[in-house]
Amino acid sequence: MLKILIPTLMLFPTTWLVPSKQLWVTTTAQSLIIALASLSWLKWTSEAGWTSSNSLLATDPLSTPLLVLTCWLLPLMIIASQNHISPEPINRQRTYISLLISLQLFLILAFSATEIIMFYVMFEATLIPTLIIITRWGNQVERLNAGTYFLFYTLAGSLPLLVALLVIQTDTGTLSMLTLQYSRPPMDPSWSNTMWWAACLLAFLVKMPLYGMHLWLPKAHVEAPIAGSMVLAAVLLKLGGYGMMRIMFMLTPLTKELAYPFIILALWGIIMTGSICLRQTDLKSLIAYSSVSHMGLVAAGILIQTPWGFTGALILMIAHGLASSALFCLANTNYERTHSRTMLLARGLQMILPLMGTWWFLANLANLALPPLPNLMGELMIIVSTFNWSYWTLILTGLGTLITASYSLYMFLMTQRGPLPNHMIALEPSHTREHLLMTLHLAPLLLLILKPELITGWCF
Amino acid sequence: MTPVHFSFTSTFILGLMGLAFHRTHLLSALLCLEGMMLSLFIALSLWTLQLEATAYSAAPMLLLAFSACEASVGLALLVATARTHGTDHLQSLNLLQC
Amino acid sequence: MNPYVLTIFLLSLGLGTTLTFASSHWLLAWMGLEINTLAIIPLMAQQHHPRAVEATTKYFLTQATAAAVILFATTLNAWSTGEWAIHQMSSPATITIIMLALSLKLGLAPTHFWLPEVLQGLNLTTGLILSTWQKLAPFALLLQISPALNSHLLITIGLLSTFVGGWGGLNQTQLRKILAYSSIAHLGWMVMIVKFAPSLTLLSLLIYILMTTTAFLTFKTLSSTTMNILATSWTKTPVITALAALALLSLGGLPPLTGFMPKWLILQELVKQQLPLLATLAALSALLSLYFYLRLCYAMALTSSPNTLTALLPWRLTQNTNPLLLSATSMFSLMLLPLTPTIMTLLTY
Repeated sequence: MLKILIPTLMLFPTTWLVPSKQLWVTTTAQSLIIALASLSWLKWTSEAGWTSSNSLLATDPLSTPLLVLTCWLLPLMIIASQNHISPEPINRQRTYISLLISLQLFLILAFSATEIIMFYVMFEATLIPTLIIITRWGNQVERLNAGTYFLFYTLAGSLPLLVALLVIQTDTGTLSMLTLQYSRPPMDPSWSNTMWWAACLLAFLVKMPLYGMHLWLPKAHVEAPIAGSMVLAAVLLKLGGYGMMRIMFMLTPLTKELAYPFIILALWGIIMTGSICLRQTDLKSLIAYSSVSHMGLVAAGILIQTPWGFTGALILMIAHGLASSALFCLANTNYERTHSRTMLLARGLQMILPLMGTWWFLANLANLALPPLPNLMGELMIIVSTFNWSYWTLILTGLGTLITASYSLYMFLMTQRGPLPNHMIALEPSHTREHLLMTLHLAPLLLLILKPELITGWCF
Repeated sequence: MTPVHFSFTSTFILGLMGLAFHRTHLLSALLCLEGMMLSLFIALSLWTLQLEATAYSAAPMLLLAFSACEASVGLALLVATARTHGTDHLQSLNLLQC
Repeated sequence: MNPYVLTIFLLSLGLGTTLTFASSHWLLAWMGLEINTLAIIPLMAQQHHPRAVEATTKYFLTQATAAAVILFATTLNAWSTGEWAIHQMSSPATITIIMLALSLKLGLAPTHFWLPEVLQGLNLTTGLILSTWQKLAPFALLLQISPALNSHLLITIGLLSTFVGGWGGLNQTQLRKILAYSSIAHLGWMVMIVKFAPSLTLLSLLIYILMTTTAFLTFKTLSSTTMNILATSWTKTPVITALAALALLSLGGLPPLTGFMPKWLILQELVKQQLPLLATLAALSALLSLYFYLRLCYAMALTSSPNTLTALLPWRLTQNTNPLLLSATSMFSLMLLPLTPTIMTLLTY
């Protein structure tokens, strides 16, 4: 564990001490080395379920893929922000990179904590850097509103969770994830236990976000700078799914009945947010709503609590993390050239940036779950497990898949095909940096086709 | 409740009610405060007398000294208020309201 | 003010609080409170302008009334039981009156109306004394009588204070009023727990003092009293503005910062006392306060307000304030959360 944490901590002195010319190169290189070192977690030797453990931190098959994703994302965020942050004064660049690093630090601690309350503290700790990234480096005035929504939705959901966790702590005397599934006796469905159940799940469902509690997400995504959008889509939403999978064990007898409204809401949300995507004019907002839709599938997969559901949810989380982050990067390359997120104003880009068109194509295919990609694997597993739970869900999930395909197509056609507007003829050509960024996003996704056991969680 | 008990309690409460509800002049507020302190003085000195506790015989004097200090501070503030606001109406102390 | 006179006033300010700390006798404690009040009044009124005088008058009236009521209740207690010792209060009526008088003295919810107005009339240094040092003596009394207090009363006052503190600050643009409402909310948290875990009250008082000192010293360094002035402070001292934004979030109680520690421990204690609903309400009331801290952060550090070109590079004389205190308190108010067990051990008695 420390072989990742200490280099991550050492990124702070790197950021503040290197000469300003080598700032971006050095931080990218060091964070990439950390990301490569984190791959060693994937080598799975323990039979007991947990490895790399010390008294506070450990990894298991559920958290390892998310940890590696977190570490992988930091160099990508730094590469992606380079263009729009480098004109700023040097101290602000350094502050920005420090915020990204602190975000990675908190996320690693959150995913590898073995104590739920430490997970909670770190879960909340990610709020401050994200808030600062959104509201300090966002572009429009509405970013302040978006920051407020982001902070207050999350906190209003998670403060009851804190109280619920303290209740468990008082009742059982422990909050360790290693032993928690054995310590809590089954509960009767009394009124207070129902409230406790809701408090335990609501924070994560808001963070996911479940349809109906998702209003903060499109705002935050639209207003955040590229690194903020990337980390929000790729990792922060997954905190919700991860937390739910962790806490589900304690809720077992109650979840069976109480989960109905939430499963219905999640499945209904897939269709609703997909339909919202179909009539969206704002590129980043479209991608954000597509995240909500995919996350609805993940929430449904977790809430029915079958091994297939969990595995599918984890696979979909990882695959969606990479794919949606790639889409946000592509949207940002458009934004940096046209300075507009409106899709109508940036059409026919294939003509002018052909290689970018290829990346758009691949990322869209990943988003709509083309067959060999892990996205499809995850969706299919979730669909199968919901089908097993009730036949009728197939209507919702099938329709959801159809809508996902159509809005991905809509997004691709709107941005890449069609006539080229005259005001766009003099666009800057694409940079090697951007191609590298896309490669680093899509290569792991393609490689995971070959060895999907790495991200299947507990069940492989 | 003995008559003594009743009398100083009601004096104090009357003073407190005057301070709380009769908010016209700063001077009247100060007078009410002084009334409260004097009723406490009576209570303390009668307590000392009744228990014949000589160790406590200084307590009423201490209280009186402090209440005199308090009254003088109040009067100083009255003067200051009169100089800055031109009046001692409590209604005119409204510069700081939200 | 003449430095000798100032020294005398500061020393008697210290003497009053120390007397209250040290006394086990109500009369002496009352004398300490009186000395305290009498010593701070000249400090408050040292600038002879209408707002300062008005604030001083209001402060004097409330404090003198509260002290008189405390003495009245203890006299009643002495008449009925013959007992003057602070920690052996037995009659519930007198102890309730004392609690209400103390809450008037501290500025807790039903009797909080004087605090924002008084703080608004003072300069930042005196405001700092008023919202930190002046809270100590009443809290010393509160901690001593806490075992005999009625917990329903405490919880009502505490919850009301957290809500009123959050609610009242929402509409303010004046920094000192915001800090006053934040003080009301924080004191509400402390009072809620005083019967169950007095050491936690002490801990939160300590942390609150650290954080609010940071806030006051920052505002003093930036010489700002409204949000508008705060919004243009990023050109003067960028580092302090950035740290102060975090310190404000810490006052709001966001997790990795120090301000989360007292809230966390208080919630835990409330849950231990089988009061999870109260804990949830209290936690959600903290969101109200967080909203105005967040707005201050927005104004201060997260947006750079448009300035004229000349205002971007202001002429500054060398600061003669010592930055040591500010840097120490801001570090404490950001970084203490990992040290929670140590601090708890220090304060448990």
